[in-house]
Amino acid sequence: MIGIQHYLFVSASLFCLGFLGILTRRNAVNVLMGIELVLNSANINLVAFSRFGPGNLQGQLFAVFVIVIAAAEVAVALAIVLTLYRLRRTPNLDEADILRG
Amino acid sequence: MDEVLQSVRRFLPELVLTGGLLLVVLVDATRARWRDGVNRFLTAASLLAALVLCGRLYGWSGELFSGMLVLDPMAVFFKVLLVAASLLVIVLFTFDNSRELHGLGQGEFYALMLAVTISNMLLATANDLAMLYLALEMVSITSYVMVAYMKGDRMSNEASLKYILFGAASTGGMLFGLSLLYGMTGTTSLPAIRDFLATGVGEQNRLAVYLFALLIFAGFGFKTAVVPFHFWCPDVYQGAPTPVTAFLSVAPKAAGFAIMLRFFYGSLATSATGPWDLAGTIDWPHILVLISVVTMTVGNVAALTQTNMKRLLAYSSIAHAGFIMMGVVALSENGARGMMIYLLVYLFMNLGAFLVVTLIHNQDRTFDLRDYPGLYRRAPFLTAAMAVFLFSLMGIPPLIGFMGKFYVFAAIIERGPVFYWYAVVAALNAAVAAFYYARILKTMIMDAGNEDRPAFALPALDQIAVMALVAANVLPLLWWSQVEGWARKSLALYTP
Repeated sequence: MIGIQHYLFVSASLFCLGFLGILTRRNAVNVLMGIELVLNSANINLVAFSRFGPGNLQGQLFAVFVIVIAAAEVAVALAIVLTLYRLRRTPNLDEADILRG
Repeated sequence: MDEVLQSVRRFLPELVLTGGLLLVVLVDATRARWRDGVNRFLTAASLLAALVLCGRLYGWSGELFSGMLVLDPMAVFFKVLLVAASLLVIVLFTFDNSRELHGLGQGEFYALMLAVTISNMLLATANDLAMLYLALEMVSITSYVMVAYMKGDRMSNEASLKYILFGAASTGGMLFGLSLLYGMTGTTSLPAIRDFLATGVGEQNRLAVYLFALLIFAGFGFKTAVVPFHFWCPDVYQGAPTPVTAFLSVAPKAAGFAIMLRFFYGSLATSATGPWDLAGTIDWPHILVLISVVTMTVGNVAALTQTNMKRLLAYSSIAHAGFIMMGVVALSENGARGMMIYLLVYLFMNLGAFLVVTLIHNQDRTFDLRDYPGLYRRAPFLTAAMAVFLFSLMGIPPLIGFMGKFYVFAAIIERGPVFYWYAVVAALNAAVAAFYYARILKTMIMDAGNEDRPAFALPALDQIAVMALVAANVLPLLWWSQVEGWARKSLALYTP
């Protein structure tokens, strides 16, 4: 029988994998994928808690909003990465290093 | 239906701004030659209308839209503050004289400005975890676009890239914390969460609540730029167009502190002891003291060695976030009042400093402090104005900056001997800050150089703008009892 622990285990793993991706990847698009994993891990949590928890729909409603926000955020992020590529011919984050100090 | 209509009546400022935003987009689509002037006027007019409408919201407190938003005197205070910040930025900074923004499309800028104002207001009044997250992301996403405004500029692009990656990661952490908090309490409404926590959390769950709140703090910390979520701040402030930098350093920061206050007092306090006392389950002040002390120290020490003015002001704004957090740490009515007054005075002093930096850039094309010698001779008026803003940022008595520091220090000392060391560390930090602010003035007034450059020719409108900000840094002291009375009147949080 699949219970809430299974969902929480999956979401915690996804969260850690996502953060690992954010911290270790050098390609900006891969970092964005890591961010998607983090957001979706929270979504799994919200929906699972809503299903197994108090029986209200607030969690599922929240999850729908998060999906929309994630799409908007990635759209803006991709536009910025595209501009980065146009200006420097690379999607590599290590090479964006003029601002420092 | 009746509830929605009632809510809409109390939601008028945001609706006016939304209408203004749509109009700006429409006018910009005409591609007519007059559109930029009309758009600037429309933006300023809708902000002004929103400001007037906000003032009429006093005297009522309750929930709007089935508990998604809340309206109470404190919400009105922050709405006024946030709208005023946007209005000041729109009025003070012009496109035509700016070296950075000249020639870029203006309509998008005004539309983004109105959008970020609406989302700031939603963030400051959020009463539900979903609304909180939505508003925070809406503020962030619009700010990312505003930072990237100079399309062909590598610094602007890099700044917004760092901003969006850092922001997405911290708000992702925050969202995970929010989802766990929902799982634990079974509700997304802040008052309901407070009721749940007030009935007592089991010993085994105490650590969990602590952990969730720390994850959620990542989002607030990112918006207010406190350590360890400050890494984006210097890069973004340096790379963004200066009007955007000036705006980011005051408005989203104020909204972030508003929601921090609302979250910590509104959802983690017990109803039995009133809105200003936290649930005894968690020992909050210690972790917040640590964050605040480290924030002001890191900001001040890093600012000592900066030569780029925007970067220097970025570190100074991190340090000020540490001072403002003293009001949150105090966890008392006086602490909240100190924080609100600090945010209010910070608006005028920081916008003033950024305005002078912009005007110098318009003339000399430089943000580098090493190009500032000789300014006293070339632009005595600007130097004198900068002196007022910097003394205000230092917290020297006859200026409003002093009042901000005064109230947060008083609130901390009032909490008893446990916090005396904290007040001492903060005072030492203020001394360090005075050193690097004074260094700017010393460079402008005493250092020799740039003898061959011509005197400044400031447009009359810019002179008036600078003069108005200087007046805003001095004159409020004459009517201080009214200002303080306003802040005191705004101290009520809505509790069902």
